[in-house]
Amino acid sequence: MTGERSGPFVWAGIILATCVLVALVGHVLWLTIPFILAIVLYYVLLAPTQRLIRAGCAQDTAALAVGGGFFAVLALAVVAAFAWTDAPGEPWQDTVARYAAGGIAFVRGSMRAIEERFPLAQQIHLAKIVDTRFTAFTGTFVQKHLAGILVSAVAWLPSLLLAPFLTFFFLRDGGGFKRFLARGVPNAFFEKTLYLLHEVDQTARRYFQGLFKLTLLDTAVLGLGLWLIGVAQPILLGLISALLAWVPFVGSIVGCVLVVVVASTDAPAEPMVAYSAIGVFVLARLLDDFVFMPLTLGRSLRVHPLVTVLMIFIGGALAGVAGLMLVLPVLGVVMVIGQTLGVLATSPRLRARHRHASALRARLAARGL
Amino acid sequence: MIFGFLKTPALSPRMHRLKNSSLFSSLTPLELRSIDRLLHERRYLPGEVVFDEGEEGQALYLILAGRVSISRVFAGATEVVTELGPGAFFGDMALLDNSPRNAQARAIEPCEMAVFFRADFMGLLETDAVIGYKIALALARHIGQRLRDWMSGRPQIEAL
Repeated sequence: MTGERSGPFVWAGIILATCVLVALVGHVLWLTIPFILAIVLYYVLLAPTQRLIRAGCAQDTAALAVGGGFFAVLALAVVAAFAWTDAPGEPWQDTVARYAAGGIAFVRGSMRAIEERFPLAQQIHLAKIVDTRFTAFTGTFVQKHLAGILVSAVAWLPSLLLAPFLTFFFLRDGGGFKRFLARGVPNAFFEKTLYLLHEVDQTARRYFQGLFKLTLLDTAVLGLGLWLIGVAQPILLGLISALLAWVPFVGSIVGCVLVVVVASTDAPAEPMVAYSAIGVFVLARLLDDFVFMPLTLGRSLRVHPLVTVLMIFIGGALAGVAGLMLVLPVLGVVMVIGQTLGVLATSPRLRARHRHASALRARLAARGL
Repeated sequence: MIFGFLKTPALSPRMHRLKNSSLFSSLTPLELRSIDRLLHERRYLPGEVVFDEGEEGQALYLILAGRVSISRVFAGATEVVTELGPGAFFGDMALLDNSPRNAQARAIEPCEMAVFFRADFMGLLETDAVIGYKIALALARHIGQRLRDWMSGRPQIEAL
């Protein structure tokens, strides 16, 4: 079964089903995002939960202890981080305002530098146009967008709180659910279905482990690059940017803006640091999209790198940011299901065995009538 | 009451049936409970094929109730190799590799079986070496017994 290869029709079905699913999940983001978070946490917390169960804990207790412990530690870490960042005396609102002002100053300075070097830019008053639009945007940003952002954040909060609950139930009932699914499968297809469920599980596991490796690689490359050009706290910035890069393309742009803002605010007299940060980001992005991602996520899903890159673009076109983020894991799972269903549907012996078993059951049910 | 968790868990009738199999006889009640969580339950009617000769094996079958006939095609004719009853297990070679089944298994009575999937066994070997080695030792003894039977000319089930 592992050596059987799917034909073009199965592959066309796989790609079509992936596109339909990605388009659908884009419409239920409120459920999709906590679901993905819960799956990531499930694979992270599964090993310690199983260890507790083997040590004699009941399934419920082990899931509650590990899940509860993890979220307690997370809450403590968040509280500690807030306490630590508040310590220097500057309230976080002021810090955000300072960095925002630093970023705006950097853009204005860059525009002036462009005007000085390129007379054409001076003739069209590039700095003035950008400055006017920037002022208009930042001046009306609070009135126009802040309320919307806050309302969205409040609306998202309850659905994000689903993640811990989903994680707990995945940990508690994951094994039972797999057996429950297998119970509904006819005997003739049972072994192949077990294999299918196992492969789906392995694919998801490989994907999320690949995502973890990709985050480490991105953090290392960005951290090294930012350290070489002299940006403060390169590892922390690299880690934040690597986490943002979970959303392909868009996440990286947000990460790049973040680092440029930090670099330009911390060293306002040295704009070259901020320009170099952009260079580091472009380099890291190229490495990430064309080397790391196909090698980690693409390889984890056993998909051809070209298909990986193409599917990322298709996912983005179909469902925006959510599509970019979800297209690869969805492709991996659909691929395994499609390939196995292809094997089951084309096996005359398995179908004949199923018909035979059904006839035996029908005869038994009709006995004595 | 406080130290209730130190008590050995009582065995359910199903666990007793698992314990009666030579594959799991050396496991403690706690280990047996871990194994039970990995096993799938299947029921077969008389005459129903469990697996075919030549099929890729993915799992071991442990008979909890009923009888199973093991047969293979030899020189164009189907020959029954053996019949197995409660406590016996078959398809064990599939637990070690995914080579094709060497015989066909068919229920001859209404059967209830516990199915041990190969990937679960492999996962167990990685995560719980103690249970893994106990089952691996039971499997090795079982295969050794088959080898002795074969050398003494007695009918036996070869690699399933």
